[in-house]
Amino acid sequence: MKRKLMALVLACAMIAATVAGCGSGGNETTAQPSGEEGTQADAGEGSTAGNDFKVAFVCSEAGQNDSGYNKSACDTIAEVASELGVEYNIIEPTNGVAQALETLAADGYNLIFSLEYDFEALINGVGGGLPLAEQYPDTWFVVFNDNPNVNEDGSVKYDNVISVLFDVHEASYLAGYAYVLVNENQEQLFGDGYNLAPLDTARAAGFVGGTNSNGILVYSYGFIEGIEKAASELGVTYDYYAKYDAGFTDSATGSTVAGTYYDNGANIVFADCGTVGDGITSRANEEGRLAIQVDADLDSTQPGYILTSVLKITGVPVETITRAYADGTIGEMDNLQSYDLESGATGITDMSVIGGHVQDADLWNEILQKVNDVADQIKSGEIVVTNAQDGESLDTSAITHVNIK
Amino acid sequence: MQLLISILYDCIYHSTPIILCVLGGMFAYKANVLNIALEGMMLNGAFVSVLTYFYTGNIALAVLLALFTTLLYGLVFSFLGVTMNGNVIIIGLAINMISTAVAGFVLVLMGSSNIILQGFDLNALKIQIPVIKDIPFVGNIISGHPLTTYLSFLLIFLMYVLMYHTKFGIYVRVVGESEEAAKAIGLRTNVYKYAAILIGAAGCALGGMNLSLERLGLFTNDMTAARGFIAIAAIYCGQGKPVQSAVYAILFGLSRSLAVNLSVYAGNAAGLFDCFPYLLMIVVLAAASYMKHKNVKVRGF
Repeated sequence: MKRKLMALVLACAMIAATVAGCGSGGNETTAQPSGEEGTQADAGEGSTAGNDFKVAFVCSEAGQNDSGYNKSACDTIAEVASELGVEYNIIEPTNGVAQALETLAADGYNLIFSLEYDFEALINGVGGGLPLAEQYPDTWFVVFNDNPNVNEDGSVKYDNVISVLFDVHEASYLAGYAYVLVNENQEQLFGDGYNLAPLDTARAAGFVGGTNSNGILVYSYGFIEGIEKAASELGVTYDYYAKYDAGFTDSATGSTVAGTYYDNGANIVFADCGTVGDGITSRANEEGRLAIQVDADLDSTQPGYILTSVLKITGVPVETITRAYADGTIGEMDNLQSYDLESGATGITDMSVIGGHVQDADLWNEILQKVNDVADQIKSGEIVVTNAQDGESLDTSAITHVNIK
Repeated sequence: MQLLISILYDCIYHSTPIILCVLGGMFAYKANVLNIALEGMMLNGAFVSVLTYFYTGNIALAVLLALFTTLLYGLVFSFLGVTMNGNVIIIGLAINMISTAVAGFVLVLMGSSNIILQGFDLNALKIQIPVIKDIPFVGNIISGHPLTTYLSFLLIFLMYVLMYHTKFGIYVRVVGESEEAAKAIGLRTNVYKYAAILIGAAGCALGGMNLSLERLGLFTNDMTAARGFIAIAAIYCGQGKPVQSAVYAILFGLSRSLAVNLSVYAGNAAGLFDCFPYLLMIVVLAAASYMKHKNVKVRGF
């Protein structure tokens, strides 16, 4: 009897699981924390403002509770949607991006952002199905960090897909430029608590990336060119160590990789590798050296040891595009949008956190001024930085003051 | 020279958490209970220790709570797997998943993607051994590790004694080799299985604590990065023998250390060293299996 009962319960559980698996979006909606539904209900009530559309945001694997990459966009959507009085939904996909996008589009969401680096179902279609962009021509899809929406001849493939790129190469350039200026003045700037390798032993910089892709290389190339610019101005040469396979989860490995670079005289390690970067900044603190973080402003996670963060504020394009949809001007927007230093979506932090730890405030302000001047030159087009996201590769013959190891 | 020093130092760094897991897990292996929950238990140790320190600032309490909560996971595992005769693979899998989920849930409640202990002085935890630290070369490698690291190497021999030179160790092995025989001589087999699993939980808790609190002063979810599974592999390669299994754990540590340190010279190619332990594992397991069956003349299934 007992066994029969057990079998019955198990069978019920299995059926329930199957139904939940097939149910359109049922499993996805449950994936979000209950707090979100509360806000969503609020947003729904406020829809008297005359805006009648629905926005959805599909998180990347890190989920909305990350250090800033997803969070910035999620917070912005919540804010803008409640202001406009439209319904919104934030999804952490459990069954892959393709299914999440399809479910949302079928549910009548008009504007769907997807932060995950997965465009196959949207642009090319998977499993013999039509591409989602073609199946739902009235739905706007926004993807990030790549431009998959092109035909072989380079023309736009689907008018309802917008690709957003961040000009992080320009921000990385500034970070590299700032590092050299800071490192060359290390004696005046840094006192107790720091243990920088003196300039007469080595001049070096390190870079740790999660994976070897254009989205990571773009940071490294910009960083190299920034170092090159400052180093050639000062007539010095820097060694450059880079690792592009650190992954995104193992922070202990990050710490030891950074340790190796510090041992080789690098006073900074640029961390572009998710939570592995937290291990790197922890090592910077441990050894009294410096690090650079990415995506959000993480300067205060290890105050005084993070020189700056190369920002990628996903909230900026999300807000711009959502408002454009509300205004009805989204159709006039370019299908490929680059957000540069001017837009505020990328850049470096004001370095005020580490600024509070340096000894010589006048010299510090001088350095900040120089960095700002370079930023202005980039904005005006006077300085052009290699952009690996567009498939450009680094012109190593122009790099004369950085030894890339 | 500097390179060799940092390779060996990092080897100890990366070996320690795996050794602790191995030492804990091999008792369960010997008791014939496959504990695949090492990974989840380790993550719990890493998480609870950092979380406790974050709120209390007390290292002793952090270690105790990490041990206590991980032992709870061990008890759940034992109760379901031993007393209730459940499938240990499923239970282990569940514990691996729930410990990540609990950590993720608490992080969401805290509104943060990780816990970083600001102002936590990692250097203060490093023990500079008198006399030895002044020996050139050796001093730089052996001295300057946190307490648990030394403990883990000491434990290799303590566990060896416990397993081969105490009644407890012999009984655990008897239970694993022939449960019926153990029962026949009146051993309460479940008690030994519980004990074996709980030793594993304690080892994992310490390993996780070493990885997060002692070495990094931070917790990020999934930071154990499959070290628990590597430990299982090391246990199998060493057939659950303390010294041999620990040697495999150190081998994994060495490969990771080579991959990290040589990347300065070889770039991404150094990542190939990460494959080395797995290749070795396949060769060792294949050879061991071949040797075992070579002399079997009876046709079997």
